[in-house]
Order: sequence, then structure tokens, then C-alpha cells
Amino acid sequence: MAEAQNPFADPLRFERRVPECAIVIFGANGDLTKRKLLPALYQLAADRRLPASFAIVGTSRTAMDDETFRAKMRPEVQRFLESGNFDDELWTHFAANLHYVAGDMNDPALYQAIRDKLAQIGQRNVLFYLSTQPSYYSIAADQLGAAGLGESAPGAWRRIVVEKPFGHDLASAGALNARLHAAFPEEEIYRIDHYLGKETVQNILAFRFGNGIFEPLWNRRYVNNIQITAAEAIGVEGRGAYYQEAGALRDMIQNHLLQVLATVAMEPTAVFEPHAVRDERAKLLRSIKIMRPSEVAQFAVAGQYHGFREELGVDPAAQTDTFAAVTFYVDNWRWAGVPFFIRTGKKLPKRSTDIAIQFNSAPLSLFGSADGELSRRPNLLILRIQPEEGISLRFFSKHPGSGMHLRPVSMDFKYGASFGGRSPSAYETLLVDAMVGDATLYTRQDMVEASWKVVEPILENWQSQKFHFPNYEPGTWGPVEADKLLARTNHQWRNS
Amino acid sequence: MIATIQPQKILRELNEQWDQLDLEQASSGGVLRACAMTLIVTANDDADAEQVRRTLGVLMHEHPSRAVILKVRDDAEFEARVFAECWKPFGSAQQICSEGVEIVSDPVRLEEAAQLLVPLRVPDLPAVLWCRGADVFHLRAFDVLFPLADKIIVDSSTVSRAAAALGFLRNLRSRGFRAADLHWTRLTGWREILAHLFDDEAMRGPDIVSARVSYGGATPSTCALYFSSWIENALPQARVALASEAGPPGLRSITFDSTTCELSLRRDGSSIQITGCGRNYRSPLAPMDEESLMREELKFLGTDPVFERVLG
Repeated sequence: MAEAQNPFADPLRFERRVPECAIVIFGANGDLTKRKLLPALYQLAADRRLPASFAIVGTSRTAMDDETFRAKMRPEVQRFLESGNFDDELWTHFAANLHYVAGDMNDPALYQAIRDKLAQIGQRNVLFYLSTQPSYYSIAADQLGAAGLGESAPGAWRRIVVEKPFGHDLASAGALNARLHAAFPEEEIYRIDHYLGKETVQNILAFRFGNGIFEPLWNRRYVNNIQITAAEAIGVEGRGAYYQEAGALRDMIQNHLLQVLATVAMEPTAVFEPHAVRDERAKLLRSIKIMRPSEVAQFAVAGQYHGFREELGVDPAAQTDTFAAVTFYVDNWRWAGVPFFIRTGKKLPKRSTDIAIQFNSAPLSLFGSADGELSRRPNLLILRIQPEEGISLRFFSKHPGSGMHLRPVSMDFKYGASFGGRSPSAYETLLVDAMVGDATLYTRQDMVEASWKVVEPILENWQSQKFHFPNYEPGTWGPVEADKLLARTNHQWRNS
Repeated sequence: MIATIQPQKILRELNEQWDQLDLEQASSGGVLRACAMTLIVTANDDADAEQVRRTLGVLMHEHPSRAVILKVRDDAEFEARVFAECWKPFGSAQQICSEGVEIVSDPVRLEEAAQLLVPLRVPDLPAVLWCRGADVFHLRAFDVLFPLADKIIVDSSTVSRAAAALGFLRNLRSRGFRAADLHWTRLTGWREILAHLFDDEAMRGPDIVSARVSYGGATPSTCALYFSSWIENALPQARVALASEAGPPGLRSITFDSTTCELSLRRDGSSIQITGCGRNYRSPLAPMDEESLMREELKFLGTDPVFERVLG
């Protein structure tokens, strides 16, 4: 990176700045661009992290000129800017470098127009961002390759960012990778999983490896089980057509939640560098035990909420899983025998993503049984990803008064209380990372393929059977089978 | 009398304050008590103390602390009172509050005040001493406060003798204290813009033969000295000169002469105009208000290696 050789570098004080470059966004008229990408780029400009010559080239099929595109994006950035601090003067500067090229992604003429625009702007470093329907990823890769846009001049770079889903199964993920590799080398392919860009997910690494007291407990000797929950209170919210093809297992577990699992369970690295961190994550994903078809019913539960089939664009007989719960085991020395319970779903009681590490109970119950079950609850460490980002530790304390009565109490750390300032959005973090060439928080081909290998037996099993859907009511924690899944091994979900 | 402000009494009053706040905010789930450090701040008079309270109110969003405002006033009786600064994050029902103590002391009794501060520091969390104004540079009375803190923040912007101020900071360092100067912090925006120009490899190498740091006023302030020292450290082959020019005090412009071109960074309001060596654009400067400077300085409580080198 430039900072390493710059005689004026001051990594302690200076935010990482984006080098001179352009970003070409495919799907510039789409939701992701309006809601996330442009607001994130504008915020980076507001934080003075973009160079003066930084340029954005949006492209989509809709015919527009630069001015129309700028006028169209302005209210969207204003609306979706997380900090809420929109500044007219800054927008004027920002918009001056906002360009637009209309065209069909199948048409080589679009790529020639992009090449001309980049030449006109005068940027050699280019980040291509695929914010389109997934079916266009391969087409874009092919066309970029054919147009030679993936080739960088000496000393410059060309990179591509691909949004999830990376394929819809192992074979299609492999095929997509092959086509991406035809145009870009693996080290220039950035597969974005915005969960990894969240501050709280990054903090898992800080929490585990920046403190000396937790890591010694972080293994099968002390941990009884780990529960990862990503619950949404809302339904599919107009995304029914997409969602019925994806389902909860594909949409959340295959990517986001397995990445979270890998972050929670990976081995420490010797150095905090992209290759080292990604190697450990990949190693962990490869260590997850692959289920045999006969085991799927025992370890995975699918659910669908009442009302999903009435959503706009959804097949009235859809077999889509709007809820999925899976028990994974990690076959390595650290985690052998420890169940990782993962569940995700829509229309659950509340929006909440957290990781609960449940420790083994004390070997002896010294303090009587007056409080019965309560005093035998295990210690819990909760890493809350959203909302109310923070960390809680549940332990026991003596209830004041005569007698030795124990009560579980919670020791809480809340991000808002210690670091009240605005955290950068996941997209701000990940965009800067891609532009400075730091792939630590991006997934790699082997990680994507390892994740597909893990979920594919479940997908195949579920596709081959007909479920009695719907099987859970909105506002509940999914089907009763999800509770039975844990009850089989004498566990229960943490539903607080 | 000193007996009227026993530390235990202040700590008890702080606890009572939390109980009261919780009671008042019971309907919205009480208040969230936030504290990441002890921040001891000196103030000269009532107006100064009010300004400190306003600054603390902003700072607590990112750096919640137990604040101790030490109002140093001639012939003042020892007094202490507790206070809280609260804010409600957007969309949150619960208020986040930080606690504070305001202590009034005569300068001749600062040593007693310093003893009082020892038990008022939050255990196990870092303590920062922020000495506002120029008094700290020449009044020995402040010396008793230095050992209380993991980091001492001063501001040399109003000192009349810049070289003496640098001597004071070097002396602090030699005595094992970790010191920071907000007049160095004010340069971060300038430095960041300059550093970014040197991300371009074409700007590096031995081509730059000289640099000129221009400042407003008759004599160079500490920031001009810092900046020239910073350039000397980064470009040892270049001759660095200081030049005075008309206008308000502070850094006015930086000019680099290379064998092929001249690059100029000139302050223009709240921006820097960059011209020469194929460049012509403006870059906004980071805000330099007191809150922004303190927010930056409180981000890192360890050693600042670049500042250490610049201080020499």
C-alpha cells in the first residue's frame, strides 16, 4: 500500500484514504446503489477520504445523461445517508465526478463506452462493482474480459466486487468463479459479504485475540454450545419473487452466518493480514462436518411463516424456507463435539442478530436448590451484532440477604456507551478496503465453495421433499421442530 | 475549607445523582451510565468552565468520561459540585449520561486539589489531563497534576514564545510524561492533504530540493515549527525554510520546489488550494474547533511516534 512508502504517512492519525481511482457501478439505477453504495461513497467524501480526482461511473440500461443521473441520485443520497449530514456544497463537488453510461450488459458497445469514459476521466485504477441481478455476473465478467477492461497497466490495478449470492449451489459457484477468473486474477476479485464489514463482526476478532482472558476458554473443554441467531421481525417486504428462489438457508446461512461462525471459531492468526485471516476462516469452513443425506432431518429444520404464500410475487404453493435452523459440528481439536446451532428467519418476534457462547455449568452445585433450575443455568457470553451492539456476560451473584441464594446477573458492555460516535457503515468499510486492496473482510473462492459444500446436502434434501408449510406463526421463534432439534441433545434456544 | 469536600462525599453525591437520574428517566428505561476514562480539565474562570462543559457535552458522545473540571481561581475557597452530561442517540429511548465533578481551587492549593483528585479517578481506566490556556507553560503549580494522568494535553496556540513551549514539552517527555499539543493536532488536516499528494510515487524521491513553510505574524508559532520539523524528518534531502507573511497567525502556505516543478498548498478559508506539478484543486480542511481537536486527541492515549520525532 502507498502508506508504507509515503514519507509523510502517519497511520495513527490519518484515516486510510482511497488512492486515485474510479469505481464503475453496474446496476447504478438499482436499490443497492441508491441505498448503500452512493451514500457510503458520499460519506467517504464528507470524511475527506476520497481523492479530489475520484470518479464514479454508473451504468444501467436506463437512458440518461450525466446531469440526469446526478439529479436522480441526489435525493436518494440525501434520503439514505446514515449520518443525515447532507451538505449542498459537498454534493456539488461530489456530483461533478459522477458520470453515467447507459447500455445493455450483453452488448460489447457498453464496455467500449465505459472504456472511453474511463479514458476521458483519466483514471488507470478501476474498481468494477457488480450491483446487478446475479444472473448478470457471468455476463459482466465475460464482457469485461473480452473488452480487456480487467487488464491493468503496469503499476495500476483493476478489481471487481461481486455481491452475494455467489452462485446458487456449489456447481454454479464454481462456474461463476471460472468466468470471473477468465477476466480477473483471484487476488483482484472481491466477493462482498457485508456482514463481515459490520463493526461488531470485526470486533469478534478484537474481542477474541485482543484480550488474554477469553481465548483460553474458547474450546470444547469449557464451551458447551454456540448459538448464532439472525432474526428478522419483517417478512419479505416486496422481495417475494427473489426470496422464494433463495430461501433462508441460501440467503443467510450459506454466506453471512457461516462467515460469522468461521469468525467465532477460527484459530488465531500469527499476523493480522488479509491472507492469514482468510486462510484461517477458510480452514474453519473446511472443518465443518458435511452432513450425510440421512442426517439432514436430524440436524436441520425448515420453516415457513403463515402468510408467506400470500406475499406479492410468491407462488401460492411455494416450498421456500423462510426459517432455517441447523446444527453444525466443527471437526477439529478445538471444537470436536461442540454443537453450533444456527437459526435465521423472517417474521420472528424481533430483529436481532447475536452469538451466544454457552459455557459448561459449574461441576458441583454448592449452593443448594432453593432456586431450582435458575441457579443451574450456565454462564453465557453474548456478542450482540445488531441492534444494541455490545457484549454481555451472564454469571451468578448472591442475592442480598440471609441465606445463599444465587441469581443470574448480566454484565453489559454497550458500544453506544463507550464509543458513542457514528460507526462507519459496512459498505463504507468494505468499499475503502477494496479500493486500497485490503481483502481481509472479503470472502475468497475456497471459502465460498466450502460454504456451499456445507449447505448443499441440506438444500438437496429439502428440494427432494414436500414440506407441510406453513408451519410457524408470525411473531414466534419458528416451528416447534426447531426446539426439538436442540431438545434432542438436551439443549434449548436462548430466546431472550 | 478542604474538609467540606471529602472525596468520599463527592463519590457518594455522584451515586446519588445516578439514582436521581434513573428515577427521573424511569419511564424510558433509566439512563445508561457511560465512562471510558477520567478526564481532568483545568479552567480559568466561570465562563471558561461553562465552555468546558459545552465541549464535554459534545466529547462524551465518543469519549464518555468521568470529567473533573478544576477551576483555578485566585483566592477561591475549595468547593465541589457534581453534574451529569446526557444525550439521547437518534432513535433511542434511553439517555446516555456521563458524570462530572467541578472543583474550585486557589492556585496555591493545587497540591491539595491534586490529592483530592487521586481517589476521584475512575479505577482501572485511563486518566487524561487537559490543561487549557497558556498558564501551564509557565506556572509550576500545574506540575502536581501531571502525575495523575496517563496523557497530558496542552495547547500552545496562545503562547508568545514558541521555542520555550517546545522546551516545556520536551522537558515533560524527559520526565516520563506523555504529552500532546493541540496546536500539533490542528495540523492533521494540513498534513493529511500533503501526505496524500505524496501517495503519488512521482512526488517522491530526491527531486524535491527545498520547502518553504509560511506563517502569519511576525514570529513562527509552534505549529510552523512543528510543520517544518515534520517536513525535515520526511524529506531529509530538502532544505526547509520558515517565512513570515501578512495575515492571521497560523500556517498560511507550504511550497515545495523540485527539479521539475513547484507545488504549493495555500490556505484559503477552510480549504487548502493545491496548485502546481500538474495539480489545481481545493481540498477542505478538517474542522479545527476545540471539540474536534480533543476528539482526535482522545482517540489514542499511547505514544504518538510522529509527534515524538517532530518534537526532536
